[in-house]
Amino acid sequence: MALDYFILVFISSLGVYQIASVHAKLDGLCFFRQPVVQYIFGILAIIGAFGWFFTSEERNIHTTVEGSQQLGLFLGSIVASYVFTNILASIMQAKVSSGGSTPREGKQYDMGTETLKKTTLFGGIVSSLKKERKDRV
Amino acid sequence: MPPLAGWTLWITGFVGKAPALDHVMRLLTNDFFIPLTICLIMLSLWLGQADRIRRDRLQRTIMNASVAIGISALVVKMINNFWNPWPRPFLVDDFVIRESARYAAQTIFYFPTDPSFPSNGATIAFAAATGVWLGNRKAGAVLYVLATLWAVARFYAGIHFFVDVAGGAVVGILTALFISKVFMPRIEPLPTWTMKLCRFLYLA
Repeated sequence: MALDYFILVFISSLGVYQIASVHAKLDGLCFFRQPVVQYIFGILAIIGAFGWFFTSEERNIHTTVEGSQQLGLFLGSIVASYVFTNILASIMQAKVSSGGSTPREGKQYDMGTETLKKTTLFGGIVSSLKKERKDRV
Repeated sequence: MPPLAGWTLWITGFVGKAPALDHVMRLLTNDFFIPLTICLIMLSLWLGQADRIRRDRLQRTIMNASVAIGISALVVKMINNFWNPWPRPFLVDDFVIRESARYAAQTIFYFPTDPSFPSNGATIAFAAATGVWLGNRKAGAVLYVLATLWAVARFYAGIHFFVDVAGGAVVGILTALFISKVFMPRIEPLPTWTMKLCRFLYLA
């Protein structure tokens, strides 16, 4: 049950990230170039995950997945899904440049998800490291 | 027996009469369906704002709501440790209520073993809804609907009295208001540091 729950959260949050990235214009998280495709992918991932979870087995049983364990699994799963989304988006996107988005100094907003509007996560990390090295020299 | 215990007899009387309704209630009362839906809505709110100022504000709201969920669960544990006023509906002395609730629980859900008052599910769902509602009225309204559905489904399934779910809702709402309006502002700069850490880790 715990593994099933982890998979359910992992796949459905993958869908949520795709839909949310369209709304927030976070190109660095997108798997696809067309927003419509992203929407369809996101909705299918959520419906598919829920459909699989609730039809594959009887779920109204006294399980060993207690509240705190459920919370831990949820957090672990959404973080894993976020990392997976970033890795896959970085691989799939050649279009989004990683060079021209060096974070400006002293702006905390240029870190974090705001960076993902212009670049992928790994593009952002690489440009931050480059900037840091340049500053030291 | 709690006040309004007779309402349990009335609502559990519907179980078994409309299979389609029972099917829907089986899904709504599930331990994972509504909690996960609420969490996924919160997750989409966390990331889904284009404007960075609005996103930052909404992320603080979600952080407050998440803390409220955790604290409200602790409040329920504390109440259960000191006060366990009545058993589950399917365990009460009254034969008619007990058998009706037993049939409903067997058909819709299972027989939970933890205390009846207050409803754990109603507490955390209403805490989440209130926490979100303070920052985003539309999403908060959606979460209130989900929380109400979950509470009604558990009442329908004969695993809680009406007072259990109503009490849980009150505990959840009050906890979320306290966390969002009093606790979180008082512990500044801890929430700000947490947000900065999340931003550093590209999570916010």
